[in-house]
Amino acid sequence: MSDARRPLSPEVIRVVRLGHGANCSSIGSIIDTLFVTALAGGAVFAAICAALDDEPVRVVGATPEGPNDESDEEEPGS
Amino acid sequence: MIVRFEPWGAWVKLESMPALVGLDQAGVRALGLDGGAAWGPDSPPSFPVEVHMAVTGRCAAGCEGCYLDARPDGLEPTQSTLLARLDALRDAGVFTVAFGGGEPTTREDLAFLADEARRRGLTPVLTTSGLGLSREKVARLRAFAQVNVSYDGAGEDYAAVRGFDGSRAAEGAIRALVAEGIRVGVNVVLTQGTFAQLGATLRRARTLGATEAQLLRYKPAGRAATLDYLARRLRPDQAASVGPVLRALALEHGATPGEFRIRIDCAMVPFLSADPEIAAAPERLLRMGVFGCEAAEALAAVKVDGKVAPCSFAAATQLDAAELAAGHAHDPELGRWRAYNRAPSEPCASCGLRPVCKGGCKVVASFIDHAHGPDPECPRVRAYRAETGDRERDTR
Repeated sequence: MSDARRPLSPEVIRVVRLGHGANCSSIGSIIDTLFVTALAGGAVFAAICAALDDEPVRVVGATPEGPNDESDEEEPGS
Repeated sequence: MIVRFEPWGAWVKLESMPALVGLDQAGVRALGLDGGAAWGPDSPPSFPVEVHMAVTGRCAAGCEGCYLDARPDGLEPTQSTLLARLDALRDAGVFTVAFGGGEPTTREDLAFLADEARRRGLTPVLTTSGLGLSREKVARLRAFAQVNVSYDGAGEDYAAVRGFDGSRAAEGAIRALVAEGIRVGVNVVLTQGTFAQLGATLRRARTLGATEAQLLRYKPAGRAATLDYLARRLRPDQAASVGPVLRALALEHGATPGEFRIRIDCAMVPFLSADPEIAAAPERLLRMGVFGCEAAEALAAVKVDGKVAPCSFAAATQLDAAELAAGHAHDPELGRWRAYNRAPSEPCASCGLRPVCKGGCKVVASFIDHAHGPDPECPRVRAYRAETGDRERDTR
């Protein structure tokens, strides 16, 4: 945990992968977003930022210290 | 949201909408988090974000191009074995597990396994042929976030890919799943005989209620690793036209009401090198999350015997799924795949799409060239070889 939570801007988003995908043999990527207008693309990032601001955080995954480092870090709006 | 630290920031899986987001370190700090040692200079390679897990080797369909060579008497892991593998995926911080096979719907404990995946924080998804999908089996699939049905087109198109016409069963499965309220996508394998009908196939799938189509390159693995592959793969002119075809499909389906997304698989990315507009903007592809060959990186497969593979089409390593968290960074074969992607040979080394494509499909390269090298069916690689006199090595 570091500082208090702050609203996110689209600039801090490196990658957005939309959808679940459900193929079991090769990894898939939504491609139609490449062809949308800048306005529509901006709406995607705005929706992502809104979700990032609202959802509670849970940290998972292995760390250099060992696997299964799972913790509930904070509640929304805190 | 579920956060997993990475050397560059963190992957974040949203729970209010289906999206995986990569945040830089400033973004992670804005969430009130700090990556600590994970952001240090000695951080290990990233774990997969998505794992394809074969839950059975059994399948009676007998598709001619089955990449697993699944058979009616194939190996089937016990439930406790699969639960242990799900534990291992959780420990590695994997986000999505795609159940496959064989035909996964032959397992009676499928709903239980999906629930157990969710209990471990994994998002379970599934691929099925739709053959023999009774009402009881459909009900078992409600626990999955999405189910994809293999659907290569109507009638002859389906048969051209799989060797028999299972399209009516697939269409019935799509309808039944949609009626059950399950989010349905279709997997469409592209061959030179069916490519021209792609638009009609997607329109048909959408009419049936599918909300997504994943376009898959035909690959020479399992029963498809024969000379017949050369007659089924996309022709060079078709591969070079993939960019414009995708653009037209996106415009068609984006212009009509109702969601229908177009998705391409990792092995299709090299074909985009022939589209000047797409090839000129690799940063756009990266930001919109387009993945090329992520084998041994963002992607891994767990074979039916529990061994980890770089991807479903690649040969298994010696690493057991149970050791994924401890062994992913150190397995020599996985390391070899990652090392090649960091420093591929020409013409990939100088390609602007390389950060996305990562050298194309190594399974195709291994089959055609007998080498872990550039994708020989990539339009840019073909042009390079034509120029240098280094021709495709179809020696089989």
